[in-house]
Amino acid sequence: MKEISTNVLIGRNSFAKRITLPSIIILVVTVVGPLGFLLYASFFDWSLTVPAPPRFAWFYNFVLVFKDTRFWNAFRNTSALMIAGIITQSILGLIIAFLLNRKFRFKKLAITILALPIMVTPVVLGFNWRIIFHEHYGPLNYIIRLLGGAGSSWIADPKLALFSIFLVDTWQWTPFVTLILLAGLQSIPHQVYEATDVDGATGWQTFWRITLPLLRPMFVLVILFRIIWIFKIFDPVYILTGGGPGITTETLSLYTYISWVKYWKVGYTSALALVQLVIMNIIAMIFVRKVMQRRRA
Amino acid sequence: MRKVYLFILVTSLLLVFSCSMLVQGQAKFNDVTITAFCDAGHNARPFEWYADEFAKAGIKVNVVTAPFANVYEKLKSEFIAGTGAYDLIVLFPMYLGEFAGMGYLKPLDEYAKKYDPRLDDIAEGFLKLYDYYGGKLYTLPYDGDVLSLYFRKDLFNDETEKSNFKKMYNKELASPETWDEVLDVAKFFTRKSGETLAGKVLDSDFYGFAFLAQRGGFAYAWWLAEFASRGGKYFDKDMNPMINTEEGVIALQRLVDILPYCPPDVLSYGYDELTNALILGRTAMCLQWPCNWKKGNDPAQSKIVGNLGVTHVPGVMKDGKLTYRAPMPCGRTLAVAKDSKNPEAAYYVAKLLSDDFSLADVSTPETGLDPFRKSHFNNPAAFSAFGPEKEAKEYLAAIANNLTYGFPDLSLPGTAQYLDVLEVYLGKAYTKELSPKEALDATAKEWNSITNSLGKANQIKIYNELLVGWKEVGLID
Repeated sequence: MKEISTNVLIGRNSFAKRITLPSIIILVVTVVGPLGFLLYASFFDWSLTVPAPPRFAWFYNFVLVFKDTRFWNAFRNTSALMIAGIITQSILGLIIAFLLNRKFRFKKLAITILALPIMVTPVVLGFNWRIIFHEHYGPLNYIIRLLGGAGSSWIADPKLALFSIFLVDTWQWTPFVTLILLAGLQSIPHQVYEATDVDGATGWQTFWRITLPLLRPMFVLVILFRIIWIFKIFDPVYILTGGGPGITTETLSLYTYISWVKYWKVGYTSALALVQLVIMNIIAMIFVRKVMQRRRA
Repeated sequence: MRKVYLFILVTSLLLVFSCSMLVQGQAKFNDVTITAFCDAGHNARPFEWYADEFAKAGIKVNVVTAPFANVYEKLKSEFIAGTGAYDLIVLFPMYLGEFAGMGYLKPLDEYAKKYDPRLDDIAEGFLKLYDYYGGKLYTLPYDGDVLSLYFRKDLFNDETEKSNFKKMYNKELASPETWDEVLDVAKFFTRKSGETLAGKVLDSDFYGFAFLAQRGGFAYAWWLAEFASRGGKYFDKDMNPMINTEEGVIALQRLVDILPYCPPDVLSYGYDELTNALILGRTAMCLQWPCNWKKGNDPAQSKIVGNLGVTHVPGVMKDGKLTYRAPMPCGRTLAVAKDSKNPEAAYYVAKLLSDDFSLADVSTPETGLDPFRKSHFNNPAAFSAFGPEKEAKEYLAAIANNLTYGFPDLSLPGTAQYLDVLEVYLGKAYTKELSPKEALDATAKEWNSITNSLGKANQIKIYNELLVGWKEVGLID
């Protein structure tokens, strides 16, 4: 009996291996392969601008990345966008989700309209906001001036340019946060709220002790997505400011792009990309671990 | 007998006629197909317009385009991979040093002997600086870009403004000859909403000057204008950066000083924003490419039709003599790829576009191509669609003059990197993050490390090949 079951297991195991093999091959070719090349290239002093062959350089490119003031500037900008974006979009998303969680006429229409910014092509979005932010002809300054303000050079003023990108990002992605949180709110059983009513809990206590903890998985999901997406933010920056004025709005993705397509520094850019990958993974892991620890507690 | 003579005469005439028809009808090439590469948009149109003409020569031209901003990476990728995808290339001259120096392009001297492109008709500045590399002909011009000073004639000719300017500065109001004068005039014309300009009450703020400052849009050229006029150079012969010299610092300080007299959003100005600031009536003057004049005289686009003056770029006084150098950012040339399977046909198409059809292409509002030949400059009637012949004459004279005293883009392996770094630090000076001296010192430091990373010896070699042309036009001794 024992022998038969082992055979069956072996047979199943080998069958399982056979049917998963194509997926493993595809994964290796499409994911591990490019990452492997990135890792390989990062150890070479390799520029495509000149015909010199790649030269093995150990960890030289990684040292250069950490010594590069432009990398740290891009890191600062990306981090600022990420922190401000996630906090603002989470708060706004939660408020709007609460409002949409009520019953009212045209609710479906409101949700459809809300979802539109997510669907807009990034390039179209960038150009639209370029017009909106125009210092002289833009509708934003027009409204501000109508209200008695002076208007601003939204994307030309170094103090405002990064904030303008944050505004665009918030406009586009708050609906995404809202929709996920709305789904979370709608999945909370109404019996839970009935029980809190019976227990005499105030609205604030219900929100703080019941709703928020039950929304935590949704928050984890949404914040994780936003961390990854903001870390890779490119289109609005490229179209609105091109990283300028100076490098006041240059983000990690834009700097990586410039380093590759303008400077053709294969080795350095590979190291730059790997460093970002590691940083993003560390942030995501710390975040998920903290949240899971609190959940277990 | 007379009938016999008549018969012989008619037969001979018929023979000559039919032979000439045969010669004319015979195509130069035998159904050759070539692929041309051009930046996307209106400047690729001539390839479509003349498809029939190319066909008559036995050449079919397939055109591949890429967005302006991606031209370099697209070409570079193909050259590195050695795909031989393109035969004929519309090339920005700033990449001539890199592409010719690295052997991606084919010298054209041999073909030029066979099909004359009339090199002596090309503005000398453009020819020597942008078509030759290391003494060999590599490209033919397609678009003669050069910066010129554009100004509002109606404002400069207004009697009240003239009188007020004289009271304020004790000199006549005129288009500025020097950069010191640019600052004075810019300051003079900058007014707040509600103030009066040329007898009209302004309903929005008005500014004296504007320049292009957006990174990636040739912003360095606006700094280059005074730097080059003062005799500044990118590098010395050993590739030591020369940008952080006194000439560079003064030029950058000038742009920092002029910022208060520019529209507040000027640091985000690319080509379109700069053009619009002038032709929609927000600024008194700016430095721009030649197509600015065409746009400024197009009623569909402009609010200042008939009021746009154009002259040489401002300069500096040296030993009592005015000296100026006009930056030549962008521009377009036609080059033949080394890997082309049909280089002669590719060259022939280049020759047709650069010479035979060029007057029509540079004088139509349907392209952004600008004049570069003496035969263009001597033909103001062709530009009559944009204004009276007298004004066209002034415009062409200014462009010709600026091309004669042109100052070329840097053109080396790594040009994109050198110039991007320069623009980054110019931006830091504009935003007052760094002083002009600090910004240029930092640029020089980074330029040194770029040079070293790309191989200093090779860079010196290529740079010195470029200097051959520079020497011929008197840019260096």
